[in-house]
Amino acid sequence: MVADSSSWLSRKKWILAGIGVPVLVGAWWLFRPEKLWINKQVNEAAPFASSSDSQPLYTGLLIGKAHPTSGRASIYQVGGGKEALRLTDFATSNGPDVHVVLAQSADQNLSNEFVKGDLDSVELGLLKANQGDQNYDLPASVDLGKYDSVVIYCERFHAVFGVAKLERF
Amino acid sequence: MVRGINVAIALAAMLVALGLQASTYAQESGKQQAKTLETGTFHGKVHQTSGRATIHQEENGKLVLRLTNFKTSNGPDVHVILVAAKDADDDANFLKSNTERVELGKLKGNQGDQNYEIPDGTDLGKFQTVSIYCERFDANFGAAPLQKF
Repeated sequence: MVADSSSWLSRKKWILAGIGVPVLVGAWWLFRPEKLWINKQVNEAAPFASSSDSQPLYTGLLIGKAHPTSGRASIYQVGGGKEALRLTDFATSNGPDVHVVLAQSADQNLSNEFVKGDLDSVELGLLKANQGDQNYDLPASVDLGKYDSVVIYCERFHAVFGVAKLERF
Repeated sequence: MVRGINVAIALAAMLVALGLQASTYAQESGKQQAKTLETGTFHGKVHQTSGRATIHQEENGKLVLRLTNFKTSNGPDVHVILVAAKDADDDANFLKSNTERVELGKLKGNQGDQNYEIPDGTDLGKFQTVSIYCERFDANFGAAPLQKF
């Protein structure tokens, strides 16, 4: 009698295992929980050999503040260790004494249309035109980690025409 | 008569010169330069996703999607797709919403730079967002809305 009941118990265990193990395997296959901490790293080269061309380092879209401003601002590595800003599909209002400058995205002044006092900025030059693609040389020493925004800035009225926050390309 | 022949020769020479010019011009315009068409950055909260998606056009006209500084969660059956939308929410379910998709392939790795071929004839004006999509659970790991570069 005792032997009978123990064999019944072990058979029940076998049935449980027969159902439980496939369910566990199925659940593992479905969710693959180990992938939560196992990474798969790849490192493919760029799709075309463009190493001779200027490489974009940073890019961002211009957003209008005091005046409607649109287009893209990109920083390129242009050889000789130099960097240049290029504006593409660019359009803003025409105005007096409008400059292209770099400023810090954390600067509260950039969230307003007008700057109180002086804007902590790096001068890149007078805006060449209020429409069209254009390039500006960057000073050799500029820290793009700190000055990470391109600002179209009217010095005369301290008006922020537009801002582009630069992000790594 | 001699003058007539001379004029004919001069005309022929001019025609040949024009023809040569036309053919070199055609060759120049036929050669396409590799260029960057669109770019955007990933957002994704539920499954932390970050990095940049850029669409390049190769010299032969082929479109390639390249992911750089890329990072997402690892997961089962994760694909890279283009969706016919301006952007996608973190909880977007493209199957439920019947959003048109273009399959670019299985995600090669959840970290690092990687390239995916885009099928010929894909309308980039329509498919404006890259999504890292877990097909098994219809989960949008992350999305990158693309803008003209």
